[in-house]
Amino acid sequence: MANGTLFPVTVVGSWTRPQWLVQALRRRQAGEISLEEFSRIADDAVLAAIKYQEDAGVDIVADGEMRRDNFYSFVVEKLSGMRLMKLSELLDYIKDRAGFEEILRALDVPAFAIKSPIATEKIRGGEEGIALDEATFLKAHTGRQTKVPIPGPYLLTRSSWFEGLSDRAYPTREDLAKDVVQLLRKEIEGLIRLGIDFIQLDEPSISQVVYGDEAEQTFMCAALGSRADPTTELEFAVRLVNETVAGFSGVRFGVHVCRGNWSRKEDVLLSGNYGPLLPWLMRMNVHQLVLEMATPRAGEVEVFKEYRNEKELGLGVVNPRTDEIERPEQIVARVKEVLQHFDPSKIFLNPDCGFGTFAERCVNTPEIAYRKLQAVSAAAALLRREYA
Amino acid sequence: MAEEKELNGLRVDKITAILDSMRDDPATLKAVTGPWKSRVVWQGGFKAKAYMRKHVVQMDEPEGLDASDSAASAHEQLLSAIGSCLTVGYVLNATKRGIKIHDLEIALEGNFDNILKWAGHSPSGNPGYPSVKAKCFVRADADEKTLRELWQAAIDGSPVTQTVARPTQIVTEFEKI
Repeated sequence: MANGTLFPVTVVGSWTRPQWLVQALRRRQAGEISLEEFSRIADDAVLAAIKYQEDAGVDIVADGEMRRDNFYSFVVEKLSGMRLMKLSELLDYIKDRAGFEEILRALDVPAFAIKSPIATEKIRGGEEGIALDEATFLKAHTGRQTKVPIPGPYLLTRSSWFEGLSDRAYPTREDLAKDVVQLLRKEIEGLIRLGIDFIQLDEPSISQVVYGDEAEQTFMCAALGSRADPTTELEFAVRLVNETVAGFSGVRFGVHVCRGNWSRKEDVLLSGNYGPLLPWLMRMNVHQLVLEMATPRAGEVEVFKEYRNEKELGLGVVNPRTDEIERPEQIVARVKEVLQHFDPSKIFLNPDCGFGTFAERCVNTPEIAYRKLQAVSAAAALLRREYA
Repeated sequence: MAEEKELNGLRVDKITAILDSMRDDPATLKAVTGPWKSRVVWQGGFKAKAYMRKHVVQMDEPEGLDASDSAASAHEQLLSAIGSCLTVGYVLNATKRGIKIHDLEIALEGNFDNILKWAGHSPSGNPGYPSVKAKCFVRADADEKTLRELWQAAIDGSPVTQTVARPTQIVTEFEKI
């Protein structure tokens, strides 16, 4: 529950980008404009994203990730030692090229379109942190509660460590993980100081461990780096998340795990219920799991039966990738299914994922995203009346 | 001295001069026309090496054929040859028109029509690719119409693509030593 309100409405993070912002981002990436110039342009986009959310009735707002090219690779701008590399540049270092080729063909995307931050030297953050500038601007422009999504420690470690490129600075992935955790802890300190209410660690690549294919090196949204067997990976992820959040108070922590948000073709996204992941997710010392539950891909809610009320659930109730606007009654019905396993105070409502996980591949228009959030707010109002 | 203008990794004046020379100088045209040569030497198993001027390319077959899969197979290299030739053509045409390319990637694939012919289980049919798919992905400083025109020009002007796409006579000879 946020400030005593049942069924708080929030977002997963990203908002759909206007074309002028994408153009500015490209110019920034090409070095044609400075970070300061880009930030001034992005300020307008953030203000619009906040306004859309507030008007739609969102209780806990985010800045729309408008300054980011995607949910994790933006860290390259903020950290030294990281290089944003295209998959086409990484092909020489990938062991299972044939497996990668199959994924590229299934997605029908060129290797140059997928980018990942790669640790090529010791990573170091500056005073401005990873998202402290975003958080400062957000706090200054909304009176609502605030959420800041940041890349989780497992995601950052897994996607950034690449054999042949990272091992000079970090002989093992474990070595990189130590620095990543310290960096994120510093970031969290800063976000708490700014008064951010909700810090969301994005960890989508966790689900790839369980639901993806068996290629040694794979990507689902972000996971470019190598991985070990699923149990080792999940244990690693739990440990890193717990080390990252240990000892902090005064803020709500969530972990967001989705199964893909790059395409409107549901069949190319990972699917399966959260059952196989829950034993590990429940061991993460966070308040909330932010999960996609709006599509049949997410599977049945019975998987939560044995974890009743163990955590809050950030329940995905609208699909960010469709034109159809979910009806509030439809959302209410889904929430009621979940309420078999959770008290009302444990449920937050949000879309399954962001509306613009990748700046150049947003999955919806602002108009539709806005109407979907309105539907979520309307559903929350109906639920509050019933469960107050 | 004026600085040489570079675009897409090519020296624009130099490439323009070469293209003009192909048109104006019979000796240049003759040199570019050929003959182009390759010598392929068996290395044991399904392995072979192709020697072309100062270059060597290894070839092998996949493990499924009880080969060592130490290199790409000839039929895969044919796809790559088509893709590489289309790449060269695309870059040439873009550069001629002053268009900067940021990224260019071509994904090719083909299915054999009747590989049983190769295996000796079928007396007739085409063991080769009846068609080859080539998809171009490009990010460049021009509108889509222009970029599609470049793609078409690359296809029409590609020596390798046109060799494969047209009926080409392979003149074979044989000698026992």
